[in-house]
Amino acid sequence: MIRLPEGLGDRRLAVDLAVWGGLAALPLFLGSWQVGQIAQYLTYGIFAMSLALIWGQCGLLSFGHAVFFGLGAYAMSLSTLGLLPGLEGWTSSYLGIVLALVLPAAAANLLGRFLFYGRGLQGAQLAIVMLAVAVIAERLMTRWPYAGGMNGLMSVPSLDIGAFGASYELYDPLPLFYGTLAAAILAYALLEALVRSRHGVVLRAIGSDEPRTAFLGHDTRAMKLSVFTLSAAVAGFAGALFASQFGFVSPPLIGFGLSTEVLIWVALGGRAALLTAFLGAIVVRLAENALADIFGPAWLLGLGLLFVLCMIFLPRGLLGEVYWRIIGRNRKRRGAD
Amino acid sequence: MDQALLLLLDATNYVLVIVLVAMGLVIIFGLMRVINMAHGELFLLGAYTLVMLQQAGISYWIGLVAATLLVGCVGLLMEELVIRHIYHRFLDTILATWGLSIAIKQGVILLFGPGAQSTSAPFAHQVALLGTAYPAYRLFIMAVALAVVAGTFYLFFRTRFGLAARAVIASRDTAACLGIPTRTFDRATFAYGAALAGLAGAVMAPIMSVDPQMGLGFLIPAFLAILVGGAGHLAGPVLGAGLIGATDSVTASLWSPVMAQVVVFTMAVVAIRVFPGGLLRGGGRG
Repeated sequence: MIRLPEGLGDRRLAVDLAVWGGLAALPLFLGSWQVGQIAQYLTYGIFAMSLALIWGQCGLLSFGHAVFFGLGAYAMSLSTLGLLPGLEGWTSSYLGIVLALVLPAAAANLLGRFLFYGRGLQGAQLAIVMLAVAVIAERLMTRWPYAGGMNGLMSVPSLDIGAFGASYELYDPLPLFYGTLAAAILAYALLEALVRSRHGVVLRAIGSDEPRTAFLGHDTRAMKLSVFTLSAAVAGFAGALFASQFGFVSPPLIGFGLSTEVLIWVALGGRAALLTAFLGAIVVRLAENALADIFGPAWLLGLGLLFVLCMIFLPRGLLGEVYWRIIGRNRKRRGAD
Repeated sequence: MDQALLLLLDATNYVLVIVLVAMGLVIIFGLMRVINMAHGELFLLGAYTLVMLQQAGISYWIGLVAATLLVGCVGLLMEELVIRHIYHRFLDTILATWGLSIAIKQGVILLFGPGAQSTSAPFAHQVALLGTAYPAYRLFIMAVALAVVAGTFYLFFRTRFGLAARAVIASRDTAACLGIPTRTFDRATFAYGAALAGLAGAVMAPIMSVDPQMGLGFLIPAFLAILVGGAGHLAGPVLGAGLIGATDSVTASLWSPVMAQVVVFTMAVVAIRVFPGGLLRGGGRG
């Protein structure tokens, strides 16, 4: 019988509290420019969590996850710029968030129905097909004048979380940071609850041996479809937050480049846990900020080699190795398959 | 009439180039179940080797051979240093080779700069072909691609080496029990596949802009060709490349190159979904 994961009594809660508490305390030590910078990396972190959910848990490797991030970013920008068809001039951040959740989820659901059902695509096929999908999406966006074409959409307004006619824009670094952090904690709590639930066990079972899980009576295709949809919604949410912070969306956000970048963050951080994937995104971006100036193009060379070494020797990721050691569970076999 | 003939020639040319690139990929994929994302960068290395040697005043033909051999050695090195450790983790090989591709591309940028290099073909004249003039060098490329396909088929289906290699594909354990050195075959196959990428890069270098991004443009069509045609048989990717290349050329001339890519990729995704085993199923898949 499958043993249910232990509840909240283990060390995971302590690690969660330490990490999120540490992040919340960051503005005490950093200048406001750095705080704003990290607020942006938090959105990348949410994006990384969404990828870790399907890849680390369920074994669905996607080379095109930025499609959903980009869709969310475009949905947010179009609604806050008042460009929605039928609603011209009417702007709302809330509508933007809703659309950024619904549109990517719907796209992922349709794509998932197409790809997982019938004879279904396996591992590498899915990775390559998603790669093709990302290239298609990027090409279409560059050719679509409504969405700004090659130039993208500029001066996307900040997130307005006012209500009942009052307006409050998340613009200053500090409120922006805490607002994004709250969103990240919310996303983490929701996804981590799924990962630690009985469904999470089934997800990991699909990841390690799908036919066997199906023989045990689980509808693996429906599970894959729903987790793919959920992951796309979270990626879209991250994209929406990113667009309203960055103030600019363009076709590269939806394409191949960002899709592979997020893979690197998640792999270096550690795909087997959402928290390490999240931190991976932030750490790699911070390192890039600090080192890219010093080393120039050599930084990417080093990152590529580090990635290769990590794939060979530390499949659980650099941070994941530390994480699972603290958690104190022997997950070696799971990380290695 | 001329227009149609030119289109036909261009389409054939593109198809054969994809076949040339996909051949190396499918050998590595079919025999070792490794998706080599760094294949585009091996192509790149082949092109740069040729360009550098030509700039040093060495003849084109020596450059062609040197590029093939050098990239073959790079493939051998990749297999020995990286791939060997992760054969049993299929999805991780995709990522590890992707990391290698980033590193190689960045290394090339560091050494030669991000800008485009150019080199010249050994012969630039046009030949009259069925009433139209066509660059002789493009015909040479087609000939090389056909020779590579014919040579690879001969190697795998008419020699003892090929018999042993196919035995390793069919059942690695049984092959090992029969005394076939499977490790040697792994190395040889990877080096052969890489060398084909190097040859493709060197052959293509004179007619395209040689820059660090040139590999990616061929990598995705080549992968799709393999998945559409099926990796179970060497003829699969030839068929896949034919379909993809022909659709691309026709759509590009009737509509636009960007939309051609969209149409081709969408078509390929649908084809892969409808025939997950490839259009041409057969052969032994290990």
